[in-house]
Amino acid sequence: MNKPYMGKILMVDLSNQTMTEEAIPDSVYKQYLSGMGLGAYVLYNRMPADADPLGPENILGFCSGFLTGTGSLFSGRWTLVGKSPLTGCWGDANCGGTFSPAIKHCGFDAIFFKGISSSPVYLHVKNGKTTLHDAAHLWGHDAIETEEILKKQHGPKAAVAVIGTSGEKVSLISGVCSDKGRIAARSGLGAVMGIKKLKAVVLEGVKRIGAHDPAAMKRLSRHCNKWVNFPLPLTPGGIFARVGTFMRVTPVVFPQDGLLYKSILRKWGTGGMNQLSIEMGDSPLKNWNGSNRDFPLEKSKKINPDLIKDTEIVKYHCYSCPLGCGGICATKGKYSHTHKPEYESILALGGLCMNEDLDSIFYLNDLLNRAGMDTISAGATAAFAIECYEKGILTQKDTDGLELKWGNTEAMVALIKKMISREGIGDLLADGVKVAAGKIGKGSIEFAIQAGGQEPAMHDGRNDPGFNVHYSLEPSPGRHTLGAHLYYEMFQLWKRLKDLPKPSLLFTKDSKYKIDEEKARVAAACSKFMSLSNGAGMCMFGLFLGAKRIPTFDWLNAATGWKLQPEDYMLIGERIQTLKQAFNVKHGIEPKDNFMSSRALGKIPQKEGANKGRSVDIEKLAPGYWDQFGWDKNTGKPKEETLHKLDIK
Amino acid sequence: MPYAITEKCNGCGACARICPSGAISGEKKKRHAINGSLCIECGACGRVCPQSALLDAGGSGCLMIKRSEWLKPELIMEACMACSICVDACPVGCLAMSELPRNNGVDAFPYLKDTRACIGCGFCSRECPADALTMKKRDKDKGSR
Repeated sequence: MNKPYMGKILMVDLSNQTMTEEAIPDSVYKQYLSGMGLGAYVLYNRMPADADPLGPENILGFCSGFLTGTGSLFSGRWTLVGKSPLTGCWGDANCGGTFSPAIKHCGFDAIFFKGISSSPVYLHVKNGKTTLHDAAHLWGHDAIETEEILKKQHGPKAAVAVIGTSGEKVSLISGVCSDKGRIAARSGLGAVMGIKKLKAVVLEGVKRIGAHDPAAMKRLSRHCNKWVNFPLPLTPGGIFARVGTFMRVTPVVFPQDGLLYKSILRKWGTGGMNQLSIEMGDSPLKNWNGSNRDFPLEKSKKINPDLIKDTEIVKYHCYSCPLGCGGICATKGKYSHTHKPEYESILALGGLCMNEDLDSIFYLNDLLNRAGMDTISAGATAAFAIECYEKGILTQKDTDGLELKWGNTEAMVALIKKMISREGIGDLLADGVKVAAGKIGKGSIEFAIQAGGQEPAMHDGRNDPGFNVHYSLEPSPGRHTLGAHLYYEMFQLWKRLKDLPKPSLLFTKDSKYKIDEEKARVAAACSKFMSLSNGAGMCMFGLFLGAKRIPTFDWLNAATGWKLQPEDYMLIGERIQTLKQAFNVKHGIEPKDNFMSSRALGKIPQKEGANKGRSVDIEKLAPGYWDQFGWDKNTGKPKEETLHKLDIK
Repeated sequence: MPYAITEKCNGCGACARICPSGAISGEKKKRHAINGSLCIECGACGRVCPQSALLDAGGSGCLMIKRSEWLKPELIMEACMACSICVDACPVGCLAMSELPRNNGVDAFPYLKDTRACIGCGFCSRECPADALTMKKRDKDKGSR
């Protein structure tokens, strides 16, 4: 009862419908925590090297955060793990909502699935009983409909993770949904669930989750909440467009304090950054080939944060989150009650496709969440198709008559609907840009912006080179939630780890592009910290408060009684990161093959806009980053001595 | 330590019916038993047993309490951070977050959606990081907040 972890996993073999509970030794938790760390441990050790991501040997894991349910805040994220069919690499995606504590309430730290069922099934866990039920009546329903049916059947307290129709159709850009519109979207793991014919996981446990020192947990949480409530006066959302313009033109910048970002998230959610990001060059536009000049203020004001906020009925807080960046919105469209679209979705379905119609963004966001298709990848693939059309590589004959021009909202909505239903051109595009470019040919790979097959998020690595480092070099490529220069500034890790560099109070933008050891240390620190945090189930937005204000390390100590130093915890993060890289190497991945597409690296620099003339030399950056982990400088593969040092067998 | 049922049990089944974790089983009119691995120590069995046949986690005997006397959570709105930990902590699902924001605010708040289902276990209050829920005896005519 006084441990923050349950000490058990459930392994379900869908091929022969057997379920096995397994005890996990304490030593594993000390080395990897749970969440992503436990997921990496199980998958590395149990999945054969040649496992087909869409075959029976792939293992799909639903992993609860180590700190979930301990009285800590911002710690309610669960991580979905598996071998990604989109990239062939280590795959993970995480999600908030209420599913993470539900896994622990059932007495497990994680639930894994291997094999393939012969017919659709769903797993139900209640009071120590695990049962696979027929899911024929659920197959074909979207994610929200399915959740509603299952909650009617099992009661409103049941936590449900489910695939929509895109997962059923094995779209390589599909994810797993919960809480009526939250989605673990990245890495294409919805396709793995779909091919396994696992429609849903329904959890109804009531087991208690412990902590070594509950009083200390509460004390630390209150300290953290004081910072969440720290008042900063905020003006109307439109002002951020002007701030973005200033940030574009100024040659010098200062380190960002996450308190400001926290306040924006609190008031508007992630969409608070819409216009700011477009103006400052953070958000890619026109399939990574445009700039703010293509999407000027007159266009971007139509996705002004205040317009989105006006539709919000009430804030949505994930489990254990005092911030509430989410929202439940009412719109005039078909779906009158919907989760507020996130920044990534707004910009992928907006600026990246040159679409300025906010109603269509709300509509597509809901449609994609219901289908269980990743909004980032869907928007990116639509933008890719539009560019192919504009360049004559795709014609109206190929597009089933759709006139795929920049900003043609109607055609874009129709295209994404086809992607969801896998009809005509939609079938070609439903597996993301890399697969589509492979089928289309004709040099279209040049416009297929991806890293290792994963469409990157709406943060331009030509603006913050740190993004390009993480997009290109992480074991799970193309991901934006692991590190960046901006994140390093906001994490403020140097306040807890004395060896880490503190950014200067003022620095030139040019200095961000200089390749030196400090950049490698900063990037490695982000990766280690986020791997640790994904093991703990922490939300990155909470971590933006800064390491002294959000007491991640202290919560871990109070939850476990371990009395470790921040450096010891960073070593756990380093071990998780190295294990993921070792997973990739075991599965035949060459890390160099995952570098970002040339356009997004600025190999041909842009001629205008915030990122004019900017390029990022990833070939030169990679050796320094890999070296920070004890991975071979030339290949990115973990050295034997590194694996030995980290006790990875 | 889980709760335990003594020989005073007459097998009326009241405890098994209220147990939220399905930990209690037994034949009608025969002594029931608690599955220790499922018991969450909510105490509901002890509060409903007319025979005082339950021993709590510390080994002390439990006394039946009239249901109207059970403690229920009461919210201190100013302290609540809308984190929904309390809603998750409730083993019977009687708490829910409001669908509309609190007065003069933007956040939802937890409320006792199903007063009759509440077993008075106090997990919501115990797990609230902000101590925004206190367990109190409710007046009959008091609203659900």
